[in-house]
Amino acid sequence: MSKETDPAMDAGTSSAGREQNRVGRRRLIQGSAALGAAALACPRYAFSQTEKTSPLAGKSIHMQILGIAGWLPSKLGVDMSPDFAKYVKAKYGYDVSFSFADAPFGTLFQKAATSLATRSQEYNIIISDSQWLGALATPKWIVQVNDIIAKNPELNIEWWSPSIRTSYQVFPDGTNKLWGFPQVGDVYGIFIRKDILEGPGEADAFKAKYGRALPTTWEDFEAMDYEEWTDFIAFFNRPEKGYYGLAAQYSREYDAASCPTMSVMRSLGGDVWDPKTGQVQGILDTPSNAHAMELYKAWLKYQPPGATNYFIAEVIDAFTQGKVFSAWQWMATGATMIPPSLKDKVLVVPPPSFKRADGTRVRNYIIGGQPWVINAFNDPEHMQVAIDFMKWWYLPETSHEYLMRGGMPCDKATCSRPDFDGINPWNRSYKYMLLRSSDFWHDPKYSEMLSDQQDAFTGYYTGQIADPLHALQWTACVQQKILYDEGTAMKAPTGACSGMRL
Amino acid sequence: MAGSAEATVATSSRRALARGPGRGILTFLGRREVLPTVLIAPVLIFFIIWNTIPTLWLLGLSFYRFSLTSGRPPIYSGFYNYTSILNDASTWFDLSRTFIFVVLAVGIETVAGFFLGLLFWGSDRLPGRRVALTLLFAPMVVTPVAAGTFWRLIYDPTFGVLNWFIRSLGLQAIRFLSDANVAFGAVLAVDVWMWTPFMVLMTLAALASVPKAELEAAEIDRLTWFQRFRLVILYHGKFILMLGILLRTIDAFKTMDLIFDMTFGGPGTATQLIAISLFRSAFESFNMGSSSALAVVLLLISIAFTATFLYVLYLRERRTSYA
Amino acid sequence: MSERAREGLYHALLWLVSLVFFAPVFWIALSSFKTAPQILAVPPIVFFRPTFANYARLFAEPAFQHHFFDSVALSVLAVLIAVAVSFLAAFAFSRFRPGATNFLMFLLLSIRMLPGSAAILPVYLMYVAFGWKDSFVAMTLFYAMFSIPFSVWILKGFIDGVSPRFDETGIVNGASWFSIITRLTLPQVFPGVVAALIFNFIFVWNEFLFNYIIGGINTSNIPVMLATGLSNGGGIDWTFLSSLTTVYILPPILMVYFFQRYLLVGMTFGTVRGEV
Repeated sequence: MSKETDPAMDAGTSSAGREQNRVGRRRLIQGSAALGAAALACPRYAFSQTEKTSPLAGKSIHMQILGIAGWLPSKLGVDMSPDFAKYVKAKYGYDVSFSFADAPFGTLFQKAATSLATRSQEYNIIISDSQWLGALATPKWIVQVNDIIAKNPELNIEWWSPSIRTSYQVFPDGTNKLWGFPQVGDVYGIFIRKDILEGPGEADAFKAKYGRALPTTWEDFEAMDYEEWTDFIAFFNRPEKGYYGLAAQYSREYDAASCPTMSVMRSLGGDVWDPKTGQVQGILDTPSNAHAMELYKAWLKYQPPGATNYFIAEVIDAFTQGKVFSAWQWMATGATMIPPSLKDKVLVVPPPSFKRADGTRVRNYIIGGQPWVINAFNDPEHMQVAIDFMKWWYLPETSHEYLMRGGMPCDKATCSRPDFDGINPWNRSYKYMLLRSSDFWHDPKYSEMLSDQQDAFTGYYTGQIADPLHALQWTACVQQKILYDEGTAMKAPTGACSGMRL
Repeated sequence: MAGSAEATVATSSRRALARGPGRGILTFLGRREVLPTVLIAPVLIFFIIWNTIPTLWLLGLSFYRFSLTSGRPPIYSGFYNYTSILNDASTWFDLSRTFIFVVLAVGIETVAGFFLGLLFWGSDRLPGRRVALTLLFAPMVVTPVAAGTFWRLIYDPTFGVLNWFIRSLGLQAIRFLSDANVAFGAVLAVDVWMWTPFMVLMTLAALASVPKAELEAAEIDRLTWFQRFRLVILYHGKFILMLGILLRTIDAFKTMDLIFDMTFGGPGTATQLIAISLFRSAFESFNMGSSSALAVVLLLISIAFTATFLYVLYLRERRTSYA
Repeated sequence: MSERAREGLYHALLWLVSLVFFAPVFWIALSSFKTAPQILAVPPIVFFRPTFANYARLFAEPAFQHHFFDSVALSVLAVLIAVAVSFLAAFAFSRFRPGATNFLMFLLLSIRMLPGSAAILPVYLMYVAFGWKDSFVAMTLFYAMFSIPFSVWILKGFIDGVSPRFDETGIVNGASWFSIITRLTLPQVFPGVVAALIFNFIFVWNEFLFNYIIGGINTSNIPVMLATGLSNGGGIDWTFLSSLTTVYILPPILMVYFFQRYLLVGMTFGTVRGEV
């Protein structure tokens, strides 16, 4: 085991020493104080005794990261980069400074794409959404990282779940080509108001009404399926008292309606496409999937009237303002979902399982989260820094620091820590759902396919379209055409598609 | 009148001349043959660089099939983009939806703006008139992102002021932005809120352009209010008003910001206007060829409309100074 | 009903209309003094103890000053350039009537017809080709271009209304065209100039899309900051939104208040040059 060294002390002989020679005494005092403070704040790094000197030693590099505005885990990636700067200074002897561009989630891809389309190295590292891997990889705007991993075995990380690799790194689906590293893992969970749940008389009333015990522990909820959940939120749906049973996402914006719907579809045994053949028709427009949509729509009964327009922000507002008893929400928003006023009053559990025809209860949900990718147009220096950055990010110390600050790491080592569950209320469910969640299309046409699908799904949820199967058939037609035109799908849309209206 | 004008001219000229005539390059540029070109040149340069080049580029791009994220170079395909857009039913639905939106929005804004303008026209004695007008014009200057987001909140069935009011009347909450039947009207209402003040401004300007002498003459001649309105006010104020309608129509056709923040075309396609389709085509599908073609089509529609409008306006307009 | 009572009712009606239109803006401003839960509260809270914490946070934010400064600089410079350039062109159109006048005037109007999403890609590609991405100067010039059509139309209208006798007398007395333009004509079309300045200022002030895509650190204005800071942890940051919007709307509102007369006269496109 390598000796754990205090970077500040190390620095005293190398970088701080050089600085002292160059600058005045006042700077020295300030600098040491800063280093001292930083050393206290900085995670302890283990330096191996034999370290190759980096070709970048003595240089000063500026990196720019493009991240997601107002998204805590993305921000953490950016907040923690000063630690990286200290780390590489000590280890490799070069200076790095960071600047950050952040863009609102809905327009991040546009900003990244317009920049990359001009082969610019404006953004050296980009935090992208997992579904855009295809769109970024196909035009070779980002670096395929297989070689990098081969040369830097520290980046060959064991993840907590196999779906981490397929969701955040692999494109095209089913191959071995990797294009990024997970920056934040994200899964669905249901946030419950524990204080209301454990209110006096609730357990008895519930038992009297439904004949079974009120679920109160995490294990209770883990065992519950859709029907049991329906009873549960119906029981706590109390508009007369000012709160509804649930808030979930149905809006047209981005992937709000699609992700939960596809989760139900997959849990029931259906799917949305076949990645190998690019086939959508016959897979998406099945009675099982239509039934899935009916099930998800049925829950609108227990939600506030505006729920059909809900996306992440609205669910947060509804839950934090006490308008709903529970909320189906991405766990990465956990810190915002549980403000100080709700501290210790919230329980986070896995969303329902669905009973299949053969009696098994399955959870197969859609995964959220974002990988980060490396700009392919980086010059060799920036490329090296980007690689060093990734290596640093997945060090156990960094992952741990990230976790402590509210991040969602994906590596097995950090997730297996005994203290993992206790750090945030959602961590246990997070680990559980990571093993049961996976991604959908990584195709470059993702954005277009999603947009049309959102039209159809929201059309059904808002009552514009009466028959869910018709909505699915229309979507399948449109997506089949998109994929066929692109060359991904083998078969053209069937004749029944021409003239079909939503 | 003429004498005093000349006196004013003479004084101003004298004062100007006190600084002496220009020499050298300015004199050359001041020659009658050269001057107009020189004066117009800066505008032309701006126009060519920032408008002509991009438009030509757009035009050119529209003849290619090109997906920005495909990694493949553009493929020449003639009028393919145009035919596929025009054959696509959803394009026509979006266009007709936009057409209805523009007609309703501009119509309501003009009528409401006109009546409100008339109301404010005679209000010289209104206490705090300037403040009142400033408040009235406030919707025009709010940042669209902020306006859209807050209106979303106002419309929200749970958190919104409107629905709180509706519920306190005992009625059921209206899902303004999530009910397909209502969403269009809800978005239209916000546009009306934002731009009626503009039409009020144009009306006030139009009314100001009516020569007072004629108004007084009409009063003296004991014309009825309606006759005064038709023969004098409308006759003279028509020009400015029409210009306002033209400007507003051109802008309404491009409406996107508000919808982007409130519904993004949803629910379903209830509020999908053509500018949003264009945005989706360009920035979601990254289908640059197709979106360029659509842009060209929209540009042509806009040009056709404006040309017709101005032609008719000038044809019937007697003021030769604008011809 | 007595004359006074009728007038009183009339005035009350006018004020009511103004307040109704102003109400949502007022709501935003009111919200800027509330905490987030208060903003979302139903029934809506009208009486509360105001807090200045939102503003304190906003002004302490280092990015705020930078973005605000960029907003002001971009808007002011772009509009000044546009109006200056437009004034020259309008003068030429009015006095010399080159054959292509109508065509050019129409062409200028067509600048406004292209939807933003369409124009952005070619402009972006062009800017990158010239190396103008994230360039303050290039952004200013872009906004200037957008401000030109409106300015030319207004100014031409006003200049048409200035008697050519002034020019003739000036020439006869040996003044250069430059002097004539700036010292004789310009003061007389002042309302038009002010109207053009203010209207275009407001447009640039609130512009988001082009600044976001084509601009960068050097050009980011407040609407970009607004859009970026809107989300916080997945939720909407209502206090940020309301306080920033309120601060940002003040300059345009003050302009509308102080230059109202000019605005009204200006929008007559030159048919009125005196008082309104």
